[in-house]
Amino acid sequence: MTTTEAAPKPAPVPEGSRTVTLKIQRFNPEVDDAPHFETYDVPALPTDRVLNLLFYVKNYLDGSFAFRRSCAHGVCGSDAMRINGVNRLACKVLMKDMFAANGKQTTLTIEPIKGLPLEKDLYVDMEPFFEAYRAIKPYLMTYGNDPTRERIQSAADRARFDDTTKCILCACCTTSCPVYWSEGSYFGPAAIVNAHRFIFDSRDEGAEERLDILNDVEGVWRCRTTFNCTDACPRGIQVTKAIQEVKRALLFKRT
Amino acid sequence: MAEVERLPYDVVVIGAGGAGLRAVIEARQRGHRVAVVCKSLFGKAHTVMAEGGCAASMGNVNDNDNWQVHFRDTMRGGKFLNNWRMAELHAKEAPDRVWELETYGALFDRTADGRISQRNFGGHTYPRLAHVGDRTGLELIRTMQQKVVSLQQEDHAATGDYEANIKVFAECTVTELFTEGDRVTGALAYWRESGRFVVFEAPSIVLATGGIGKSFQVTSNSWEYTGDGHALAARAGASLINMEFVQFHPTGMVWPPSVKGILVTEGVRGDGGVLRNAEGKRFMFDYVPEVFKGQYAESEEEADRWYADQNANRRTPDLLPRDEVARAINAEVKAGRGSPHGGVFLDIASRMSAEEIKRRLPSMYHQFKELADVDITAEPMEVGPTCHYVMGGIEVDPDSGAAAGVRGLFAAGECSGGMHGSNRLGGNSLSDLLVFGRRAGLGAANHVESGAGDTGIPQAEVDAAMERALAPVTAEQGENPYTVHAELQQTMNELVGIIRTEAEIADAIGKLETFKQRVAGVSVNGVREFNPGWHLALDLRNMLLVSECVARAALERTESRGGHTREDYPGMRAPWRNQLIQCLYTGGGVRLHTVDQVPMRTDLLELFEYEELQKYFTEEELTGLATGATTGKE
Repeated sequence: MTTTEAAPKPAPVPEGSRTVTLKIQRFNPEVDDAPHFETYDVPALPTDRVLNLLFYVKNYLDGSFAFRRSCAHGVCGSDAMRINGVNRLACKVLMKDMFAANGKQTTLTIEPIKGLPLEKDLYVDMEPFFEAYRAIKPYLMTYGNDPTRERIQSAADRARFDDTTKCILCACCTTSCPVYWSEGSYFGPAAIVNAHRFIFDSRDEGAEERLDILNDVEGVWRCRTTFNCTDACPRGIQVTKAIQEVKRALLFKRT
Repeated sequence: MAEVERLPYDVVVIGAGGAGLRAVIEARQRGHRVAVVCKSLFGKAHTVMAEGGCAASMGNVNDNDNWQVHFRDTMRGGKFLNNWRMAELHAKEAPDRVWELETYGALFDRTADGRISQRNFGGHTYPRLAHVGDRTGLELIRTMQQKVVSLQQEDHAATGDYEANIKVFAECTVTELFTEGDRVTGALAYWRESGRFVVFEAPSIVLATGGIGKSFQVTSNSWEYTGDGHALAARAGASLINMEFVQFHPTGMVWPPSVKGILVTEGVRGDGGVLRNAEGKRFMFDYVPEVFKGQYAESEEEADRWYADQNANRRTPDLLPRDEVARAINAEVKAGRGSPHGGVFLDIASRMSAEEIKRRLPSMYHQFKELADVDITAEPMEVGPTCHYVMGGIEVDPDSGAAAGVRGLFAAGECSGGMHGSNRLGGNSLSDLLVFGRRAGLGAANHVESGAGDTGIPQAEVDAAMERALAPVTAEQGENPYTVHAELQQTMNELVGIIRTEAEIADAIGKLETFKQRVAGVSVNGVREFNPGWHLALDLRNMLLVSECVARAALERTESRGGHTREDYPGMRAPWRNQLIQCLYTGGGVRLHTVDQVPMRTDLLELFEYEELQKYFTEEELTGLATGATTGKE
C-alpha cells in the first residue's frame, strides 16, 4: 500500500532515479497489537543512501513514520536497523550497492534491530543496551592524585586500544548476536568492546575490577565466536578479536 | 488539561552536547541535583560531529605558544568584534580544560614524548589543536558521558540511587521556559516517545542547545540544530546578539546530492592538503586580505617549507580563517573556475602517501570512499561552502554565562553569543564548550546557592503552554510542516546566505512574514508517540524565530565582516566594530537594538602592534594608547 495523504504537492521524482520498493516494519503501540509490514514505492538514485529513502517516506508519504537518525554520516550511531536482514547504519548504505541485478525490481526489507523492546516503527528501547554499557564501568579508573597536566602515554600504548575506542554505541553488534537475542541478560559485544577500551588503556588501573565483572555468568564466556558482531560493526572494529583478548586476559589472570 | 508531572531540580541543563555535559559535571561537583534534558539519545549530540580538534595553547608541539597568542588569533579571526573578556578567559583556561579531560580518560593522539599532540588549523599561529585523528568531538562527548556515568555510580554507592544527583532525560524536548517577573522558574518538556508532558521546576536553567543550521538548505548540521535555545531564551525575554554572523565552513562535500553539505574537516588542510581550482592553481594566494597581509606565505615554496620549519616561514593561505576561505571558494566558482559539481578541489593525494592519509584522516578516507566513491589517497575531493556554525547567540555575562535580562538563565556553547565575534576559528568550538560549559555550571550553582526563591509555576501557565505545544496535533487541514521547512531553508540559503544584498534580505524578511502564518497553521497526522511531524512543527517555530533574527540583523549591519558579507557594502567599517545588534522578541516579531561593546582593557590592547589595531579600530578608540605598543611574548 502506498499512502498519499499529507502530501499537498506531488512527491518529486529526481531524474535518473529508479523505483524501489521498501517493505518497512511499522508498529503503532496505540492501535496495533503486533508489528506489520507496509510497502512504499520510492524513487532512488544510485548515490542515495537508504536513509534518504526513509526520509522520502516520512516527508512525502507518511509523516508519522518514526526512526532515529542524527548526524547522517556514520558518526553518532543513531540509525542502526536491519536492512535485508543485516544490521547496518541507514546513512552508510549506498543504493547503488543494493539495486537488483539486470534491472529487476529492487525490494528492501527494513526492520528495527532485534533483541531490544520495540517502541514504535523502527524505534526500540535502547535502555537495556546502555545498562550493559554502564555495568562494565566505562570510565578511567585511577588511584592517587591526578597530574597537573596530562598523563604521559606513548604512541605505542595509545595504539594498543585504538580499535575499541572507535565504538559509536550504535548497537549493531550487540543486536546481531544470537546469544543476545536468546539470553537478554548477556552483556553483549558492545559492552565488552568498551571494557576492552579501558582494560588495555595503559593509564587505567581498574582492569581487575572490570575483568571480575566480565568473568560473571553473563560475561564474556557466553560469546560463541560467531563473528556476527564483527561483520555488523559499521566502524570496522574487530569486535570478536577484542572479546577474545578479554577472554585471554581472564585466563592469564587466573594462572 | 490532564495532570502533568512536576519535577523539582536545582539546575536543569537543556542540551547534552559538550557544553551541557560540562555544565552538568560542574553543578553536580558543587553538590547540586541536576537534570539534563536532550532531544537525542544520550551521547549522540551534535558535538560528535566535530572532527579536527580542540584549541588550547598547551605548547606541546611548539613551545612559543601561550594564551596571549591564542587570544590574538581568536580576536583576529573574529575581526575584533569578539567579546574580549570571553576570548581572554577562553585562551587562558582552555589548556586546563583539555588536561582535565585527559584525566577523565579522554584519548588523544600523542607526541613522541607521550604528551598530547597538537595540529595546525586555520587562523592559529601554532599547532594548537588537541585531537584524536579526525574524531575529536566523538571522543570529547564520550569522555564526558563516561564521567557522568562514573558520578552516577559514585552517587549510587553513597545513596543507593544512581539518579540521586544527575538524571538524564533523553529524547525529551523542551518547548517553553516559564518565568516570573525577570527570573526563570522552570521549563515545559515532552517525552518524544510518549508525547507526555513534564514540567521542570528549577531556580537555574542552563541552555546548551547548539546552533541553528537546519534553517539553511546546505548545512553540515544535524536535525537537532533548530535554534531551540536561542528561541527559548528570546521568548523568555533574553537578548540575542551577533545573529547576522553565520559561518559557512569552506569545505563541505558538494557531491553526490544526497550528502551535499556534510563536513570535510579543516584538518585536511591543517595536515597539508591544499585548495586548487579547475586549472589546478592554488588560488588562495590571490585571496589574502589586507588585514592579514604579511602574516601568510606569498609563494607555494614558502608555504610548503612552513610545514617543516614554522619559525623561518609563514603559513599557507589555505589556512586563513574560514570566512576568508569560504568567500574565496565562492568567488572561484562564480568566475567559472570551479569543479564539475560546483565546488573546488581539495587535494591531499599529491601531498602525502596513501598510508599517511589513512592514518591521519581515517574518517575522511572512509567518508569519501563510502559516500562519494572517491579515493582521497588517489584523487582530489570536491568541496564547497556549507552552513556550519552560528557566531550569534544569547547575550551572556562572560564570567558566569548568565543570560542578559533573565535571572537564573545561563547559556554556554554555540547557543551563546560573543566569544567568537564575527567569525569563529576552527578548534575554538570544542574549547569554548569546555571553558564556558564549566563556567555556566558554576554560575548556575552559585545562583542556586544565592537563595533564588521558590519556583512555583501556576497551573494555568502550564496548561496554556501545553495547549500551544499541542496546536499542530489538534489543528486540522493545515499544511505539511515539511513543505514549510523546505521553503524556509531555501529562502535562507538563497537570500541570507554567504553573500548578501539589501534587496535579497528584504525579500527574505517578506517571505519570513508569510511563513509565520503558515507555521502557525501547520497540522500533523497521527498520534503523539514518536511523531516526527509534530516534532518538526515545534522545531519550525524556533527556526523561524532565529531566521528572522539573522535576516533582520543582516539587513541592519551595513558593512562586511567575518561571517556577514554584504555585496552592497564591501569591506569592514571601523565604526561598526564595537556595535552589537541585539535581537529582542516582542511577541509578534523581532525588534533590533544597537548598543556599544565594552571597550577592550588596555593591557589586552597592548598585546597587539599598534599598526594592526589601526586596521580595525577608529582613531578615537585608540587615543591614549602608546603607538609603540609591543607584541607581548611573555
